[in-house]
Amino acid sequence: MQRKLVLLLLLALLTAPTLVGFAQEPDGLPVDVPREDLWVFDQIFRWQTVNNFNVWRIGGSTPFHHALMLETFWNRDQETGEFIHALAAADPVYNDDFTEMSVELRPGVMWTDGEEFNADDVVYTIETIKANPELGQGGWHPQLVDFDVAVEKTGDYSVSFTLNRSNPRFHTLFESRWNGVYMMPSHIVSEVEANLADGENLGAWVWEAQDVVVLGNYLPVEADPNGYWELFKRRDDPENSLAGIITGGSGPPYALSIFYGNENIKKAIAMSRNELDVYFDVDIESFEFTLDNAPNARSWYTDFPWAYPNEVSSRQLAMNHESDPMLQNKDVRWALALALDIVEMQTEYIGGVAKVTPFPVPPTAKLYNLYHGPMTEWLTNLQIDLGDGEMYNPYDPTVPDQIAAWAEEQGFAVPGEPYEVFGAGWWKYDTDAAEKLLLKAGLSRGGDGKWMTPDGEPWVLDLQSTPDENDAFRMAQAAFDMWTDFGVEVSFSSLDRQSSFDPNQHIGAYEISTPWTSFALASGDMWPNIRGHHSRYYAPVGEDYRPLGGDSRRRLRDDTIDELIDAMATVNPVSQEAENVELGIQFIQNWVENMFDITCIAFKKFVTWDETYWTGFPTAENPNYQPLYWFQGGKYAIQNLHPTS
Amino acid sequence: MQLLRTYILPRIAQWAVVIFVGVTVTFLIPRFSPVNPIDDMISRMTAFQTIDPQAVVAMRANMEDLYGLDGSLLDQYIAFWRRLLAGDLGPSFQNFPAPVSEIIGAGLPWTVGLLTTTTLISWLLGIFVGSLVGYFQHQTWAQVLERLVIVIYPTPYLITALILLIVFAFYIPLFPMVGGAQGSPALTWNYISSILRFGFLPAMSIVIGGFAFRFIMAKALSTTEIASDYVQYAELAAVPKRRIVMSYVIRNTMLPHVNDLALSLGAMFEGALIVEVMFGYPGLGSKLFTAIGTSDYNIIMGITLLSIVGIATGSLIVDLLYPVFDPRVRLR
Amino acid sequence: MLTTIRDLFRFSLSFRFGSLILIFVAIVVVTSFFAPYPPEKRRVVPRKFRGDPPSLQYVLGTTALGQDVFWMLTAGVKNTLIIASIAVVIGRGIGVMLGMISGYLGGAADRIIQSVVESVIVIPRLPLLILIAVILKGELTFVSLGILIGILDWAYPSKRYRAQVLSLRERDFTHTAIFSGMNTVKIVIQEHLPFIIPYMLADVVSGFLFSIGIEVTLSYLGLNDLNSLSLGTMIYWANEWSSIFAGKPWVMIAPVTASIIMVVGFYLVSIGISEYLDPRKRLVRLQAHQADLALELEREGASSAGVAVATAGRKEKDE
Repeated sequence: MQRKLVLLLLLALLTAPTLVGFAQEPDGLPVDVPREDLWVFDQIFRWQTVNNFNVWRIGGSTPFHHALMLETFWNRDQETGEFIHALAAADPVYNDDFTEMSVELRPGVMWTDGEEFNADDVVYTIETIKANPELGQGGWHPQLVDFDVAVEKTGDYSVSFTLNRSNPRFHTLFESRWNGVYMMPSHIVSEVEANLADGENLGAWVWEAQDVVVLGNYLPVEADPNGYWELFKRRDDPENSLAGIITGGSGPPYALSIFYGNENIKKAIAMSRNELDVYFDVDIESFEFTLDNAPNARSWYTDFPWAYPNEVSSRQLAMNHESDPMLQNKDVRWALALALDIVEMQTEYIGGVAKVTPFPVPPTAKLYNLYHGPMTEWLTNLQIDLGDGEMYNPYDPTVPDQIAAWAEEQGFAVPGEPYEVFGAGWWKYDTDAAEKLLLKAGLSRGGDGKWMTPDGEPWVLDLQSTPDENDAFRMAQAAFDMWTDFGVEVSFSSLDRQSSFDPNQHIGAYEISTPWTSFALASGDMWPNIRGHHSRYYAPVGEDYRPLGGDSRRRLRDDTIDELIDAMATVNPVSQEAENVELGIQFIQNWVENMFDITCIAFKKFVTWDETYWTGFPTAENPNYQPLYWFQGGKYAIQNLHPTS
Repeated sequence: MQLLRTYILPRIAQWAVVIFVGVTVTFLIPRFSPVNPIDDMISRMTAFQTIDPQAVVAMRANMEDLYGLDGSLLDQYIAFWRRLLAGDLGPSFQNFPAPVSEIIGAGLPWTVGLLTTTTLISWLLGIFVGSLVGYFQHQTWAQVLERLVIVIYPTPYLITALILLIVFAFYIPLFPMVGGAQGSPALTWNYISSILRFGFLPAMSIVIGGFAFRFIMAKALSTTEIASDYVQYAELAAVPKRRIVMSYVIRNTMLPHVNDLALSLGAMFEGALIVEVMFGYPGLGSKLFTAIGTSDYNIIMGITLLSIVGIATGSLIVDLLYPVFDPRVRLR
Repeated sequence: MLTTIRDLFRFSLSFRFGSLILIFVAIVVVTSFFAPYPPEKRRVVPRKFRGDPPSLQYVLGTTALGQDVFWMLTAGVKNTLIIASIAVVIGRGIGVMLGMISGYLGGAADRIIQSVVESVIVIPRLPLLILIAVILKGELTFVSLGILIGILDWAYPSKRYRAQVLSLRERDFTHTAIFSGMNTVKIVIQEHLPFIIPYMLADVVSGFLFSIGIEVTLSYLGLNDLNSLSLGTMIYWANEWSSIFAGKPWVMIAPVTASIIMVVGFYLVSIGISEYLDPRKRLVRLQAHQADLALELEREGASSAGVAVATAGRKEKDE
């Protein structure tokens, strides 16, 4: 009797919620919107800033939702390198000494409340950001102050900027790959400003979802107070949004960004449950899981090597030039490069899915033609001294062909020329040459075959990486294994990014590490990305380089680098492109000859979409826009989506 | 009166000291972290774009000023207490200028809801089943149940949660993977049932472990109890077994259980960190975890303060009520 | 001590079972010293066997990067036990010392120590551990992790030892000993230690339980030395490389099963010892002490099994 009662009660207690689960569709999305009206995308991380769309204020979150809502003058497409006219109707026009820039604006772009965008909005935005240090996003405020920028309305749809000194790259503040000076609705913000209490400023202004007025195609509806998701609704007149004007598409009625957690597999599972339409990136295991379990999912290529290969960045084994004294010797750095088997690294460790590059510029279609292609001859003829006057050509242009051969052996078809799919050549895998270089540097092999320093001490290298970047981590594992095989004692630590990997880079507490860098923007311009290497931003080991504002994580000082950066600063990247690229090539040549770091691969992204509900994403067959939806230029891909059925 | 002076007042004084020490320790520790909230934010801004070096320097200065991080440690500590006593927990750094109290307010209902429910369910179920098993310990079903619990009980939480996630979110995709409910709060069946659905897996992970713990306690206590003379007499007098278990055994073993309940309810405010992180549940635990990673000092302080006060008060209440239940304490 | 263990074997089924498991664990640990190569090393398994399921040659399977799961597991179990041992020695060391001092001295010393203990207890432990682990991350090794766990796991034990001492002090036999002129040290060593040692045994075992759980949890959050092998880091990597879903579930199953078996083993042993301490069975065995003595022992420990359970019980609240 009691037994039955107990069992019954237990059963009831345990099954009640299960029944609730059964009673409903297995629908795990946190919003109540019909699935066929909803496009669900991966939010990448959990929002810290919640329900505050004042994106101009200092601090704040990294803006993954900007592409849906905000606009500036120009965008840069990473796939094509194309300079897209957004709010500006044409290229920037400078005067001869680059102290004035005038911009033609595009008429007919509407704010979501029905007002038309015009020159008043530009003037108000610039003056407001310049006047308020609290509106410090993107570092725009200090730059406007630094050049003491004056802005003038020269017509309803034209403005002109005056600077206190020459700046041939002033327009890049308004050229967005990721972020750029976003225009404010002057009729809204000026009212907010007028109603501020004494002592308050616009930094403390909280712009909640229901009050937001934007130029983009989507308006925020609801934000999870805990930061796991945000829901957006398409504006009533998508044809008047800038993205609508440019693409002619209207996009899904609702868009939901959602964070499934840090583990890659959770995104893959969510996609297999039809609860995620596109994700940002995963490791190859989770990607294969997606292919097996989400029948309508695909990435850039339908088949091998699947992933989108053209995000503009690259991965390197970066050296701290003030750490191990051995690493300060160019021959030792070259030896480490020649002891790496790039083909094995790219295939066995990384699965054959990333492009190879011997210097920190990714071989995307545009950048390959600007840098890798023109430099092939120089690279092939490059010689290094192995000691005793023996000259050696380290470059191996056949690397992409070797990878293609591997792929065919695996039963994969290679979709294009090997260099298009697998990137540029790389350094030969030649341990004999590496051996000679180390001997030349005064090192010797001990009894156990391990390398010893000239002082007769065991030579131990410290290698740090962080597992959250899959490719960087596997690259580090490969380097560890190959260097160990070559007799170099390596201590390898895998560190958590936030708590130790990044901090160690900041203060120079590493010998070899795996950051990401691209020397060139999608446009091909290098100066904005390399200026931080100027020795005026140098910070010694032990000091954080960031307060100085530059990029001294490598603790590197080199006169040639300084000269070239100074020379490029005066060149306009649009009107003087050839000269700018030529200086860039000289910069890379200096970098390569000295082997300042060992760059291995470019970025790839398993940006993957499931076509169960939405189709029309850019693909290798139809590369109309970049599929990187989290960048500003990603909005055009979103605008082109249409229902599958 | 004697009791008040020798027992109650010192106990209350201890409560205050304990909170003060606890708060001071949690104020100091994050400030030794190598992660500085401002640099962290700048790193995130520059991860995807390049910013002019001079502009970065200017931004740093602006932020230090804004967040009140520019004094010495002692200045910050004094300012912290001054603010706290005025009831102000300060702003979040990452979500500036939102006040910490608002951020805690957003997570609190989820944590309290999840943990009150699961604590009570596992407590009641554990006592009930545990006492029954203690009473019927020679029956097969009781022995099977006990062995099962012995394997479940020591298994780390994390592993239980991981297994539940794999089974019920992928192989049998019944339950959601992230979030607390569906849609905006409303008194509709849809919303309320979604709370149950979204909370089910996190709740199960907590209930399984909590139940096993309570079960083992209750079984041990009731095993001792049934050896007592009065139970033997009751059995001889043919009192129905159900009544023996319910009215005598469970009732007489309740004191330590009630004691523990008060303590675990007090400890609730720190949230169910692992479970919340694993299931993307919007409570205080996962908030705290993120705040630690980004050195959002004020949020770390706000949540730990709540938790410290909760635990200290829970144990204070237990201690103050003890003399009421147990006369021997009064004599000491 | 030896008689205790012999008694335990004779009377307690769970102790017998648990110690069998622990002996097995010990064998695994010893095996780890015979690994043919450092087990964390990649590319040691020939290419054609990489990522293979368990087979005769590779009993627990291999990973895609060419490691043998069996050798990884032996090292993992060993290292996890090292962490736990350090934590237990430190945590219980501080706990026993403070508890005994507090219990025997009483008065002002007792009050001060108790205030400190209470202050430590109210600080939420898992978040604090995470915070410190984040701060120390770069330098965190197995030893420092063990020390860290130990430093944070003494407050509850010390409270319980104090309670034990207090109850022993009130026993009739203590009074008898005092009246018969025995000195304090002698009383502590001859009369009280025989009670405290088996109690400590059970407590130490539950300390292991707690430390293993914390090690696994911290590693899962990526806050351990991820490049070395422990059960926790094995679970971390298996999870990081999605082994269950990528068709290599054995990489995950091995450390998870091992940690469950290990904690169950420890737990069974601790139940065995607790049962041994159980007043009624003790009565049967010893037939010497009065009945009220046993009852009091039970009250002070909250319950006989509660002795072992209480430490691990805190785990619940933490997680």
